[in-house]
Amino acid sequence: MKLPTSMKTTLNFQDADTFYEQLLDAHQGLSRDQSELLNARLILLLANQVGDARVLEECVAAAKDFH
Amino acid sequence: MDELRTGYAETALTNGYEFTSGSGYQLPEYPFEAPAELATGTVGEHPVVIVGAGLAGLTAACALAHYGIPAVLLDEDNTVGVKGASSRGICYTQKSLEIFHRLGVYERIARKGIQWSVGRTFAGQDEVYSFDLRQQSGYNLSIQPPFINIQQFYIEGYLVERIRELGVVQLRWNNRVTGFQQDDDGATLSVTTPAGDYRIRAQHVIDASGCHSPFRQWVGASVTAKKGDDRWCIADVRFTKHPPVERHTWIEAPFNENRAVWQHLMGDEVWRIDYQMAPNADPEEVSREDVVRQRLQRQFGADCEVEIVWVGPYAYRSECVDAMRHGRVFFVGDAAKVVSPFGARGGNTGIADADNLAWKLAAVLQGRAPAALLDSYHEERHEAARQNVLVTNRTARFLRPADGIERVFRNAAVGLARQFPFARQLVNTGRMAIANPYTSSSVCDRTGGLSVQNVAFEWPDGSRGVVNDLLQWAEGRLLLLVFGDPGRAGLSRLRELSEAAPLRCLQVLGPNQRPGAVEHVRDPQGHLQGACHVFGHAWALVRPDSYVAATGESVDASLVQAIARALGAAGAHE
Repeated sequence: MKLPTSMKTTLNFQDADTFYEQLLDAHQGLSRDQSELLNARLILLLANQVGDARVLEECVAAAKDFH
Repeated sequence: MDELRTGYAETALTNGYEFTSGSGYQLPEYPFEAPAELATGTVGEHPVVIVGAGLAGLTAACALAHYGIPAVLLDEDNTVGVKGASSRGICYTQKSLEIFHRLGVYERIARKGIQWSVGRTFAGQDEVYSFDLRQQSGYNLSIQPPFINIQQFYIEGYLVERIRELGVVQLRWNNRVTGFQQDDDGATLSVTTPAGDYRIRAQHVIDASGCHSPFRQWVGASVTAKKGDDRWCIADVRFTKHPPVERHTWIEAPFNENRAVWQHLMGDEVWRIDYQMAPNADPEEVSREDVVRQRLQRQFGADCEVEIVWVGPYAYRSECVDAMRHGRVFFVGDAAKVVSPFGARGGNTGIADADNLAWKLAAVLQGRAPAALLDSYHEERHEAARQNVLVTNRTARFLRPADGIERVFRNAAVGLARQFPFARQLVNTGRMAIANPYTSSSVCDRTGGLSVQNVAFEWPDGSRGVVNDLLQWAEGRLLLLVFGDPGRAGLSRLRELSEAAPLRCLQVLGPNQRPGAVEHVRDPQGHLQGACHVFGHAWALVRPDSYVAATGESVDASLVQAIARALGAAGAHE
């Protein structure tokens, strides 16, 4: 039996397409290293928005165990 | 120890990772006296033998002396200060200071040491994070400050003199343990001295012999270890120009090739400046006097006159024995676990190990508790050791990120911290040591396991008392504090309890409450109650190491059971 998760897997974006575009635009013209750093900053900023330790743990696991 | 003359001698520049002698400091020397066993040729029998006169061993010896246990302490050396180790403790936590207060050496530490509460962290020229421990509620109740910085050997020297003054525990200098065996009746140690070899028997052995403990092998203790490639070089110095009395840390110091630097004041106006080196740095090179001077000049300016007291390069590792008890052997301090120095989690937890073990040994040896109580030493202090290893490893990883994505994340965190308050919490230059809570101890209730700060209250005559006075009064027994009015029936039950169990009972009254029949004190500001982690009408069962074993509301069977459980009595488990 799967334990109930706290991580949202259904749509929560208000505007997914806009965010996706903003994400790509932010990386435009950046070198690989600069992009990597931007992503790292973004992850930390977003993680603080989430805050909840269990949700964060599940998000890390979901990203890592992805197949 | 003569505080005016002991301290530091001439400059000592020493090289080598594994061995850095402390000849820069002038240390007291203690006389070798031929043990009685050598004269009589018999094997001495002792309740407790402690091996190693460092912080943990001396704390254990001093605590046992207070409880009246005639232990024997064996040290291979004839002085305090760590020979053969390249780094020593300078930073002592409130919990350690409270223990030292109980042991009678706090006043000397406070006079010699430096109090501090402000810490600042820099990256480049910018301050990214600061804290003031005095503003944090966790620290402000105790009569002891959050931290005192002082050279480790001063504390050790004060403990030696206190142990001699108490006269219960024998200190045997130049007594090196060379062999160990244990059987059903006790343990036998082989000891080498300048006057010959002898054997000594002990019911219990406290191994406080440090990170190179031979006991690990003798008892077959398994160790979980992790080795890093991070290299550091300490310079203990005196200045003509003083930095502020604060803990300053740089994650990326422009004057140290953008590597980390620590800056801290100790006694005798000696500053410890600890420089992170390149991972492949040659220890001989980085600790050469001209190189050290250059580094200091880059930080403090060419015009600053610097007197170098001691220089020591070191590499750290983390190690933790998987079991803190092996039969009659108890591992304490660095013999049990070794951590990197971040957050002062080494020496301080050794002191707490010793304090945790001493009252339990005394209670068992003096017939107040069954032998099962001793098993809780591992449960409680191994949890603390694991936690300290975990926390310091996280700091080590932040300060020495692996090349690649770990470094990217650190750059991101440090960058964000300059602009956004939330990200400062990610900047990890060491999480200061605390009195570790016990969450999985068989002798602590789920309401217990927390440290009780050494707070003040009023004796019935209005004079000031502190928690340590009450623990002294309890003389190694449990201390039951009953807050408010337990009623007539409750009071009579308390009287019966304190006659039947190894327990001292005390009523704690608010400003306008009337005392019942039991002995009482007043807690007008509720500090004692707050320190015991209870509210309203309640009781708190406080152990000799100033931890709450359990708390509750009514004086009933649950209290009786909590007392039995706190002493490790079989069948007391839920």
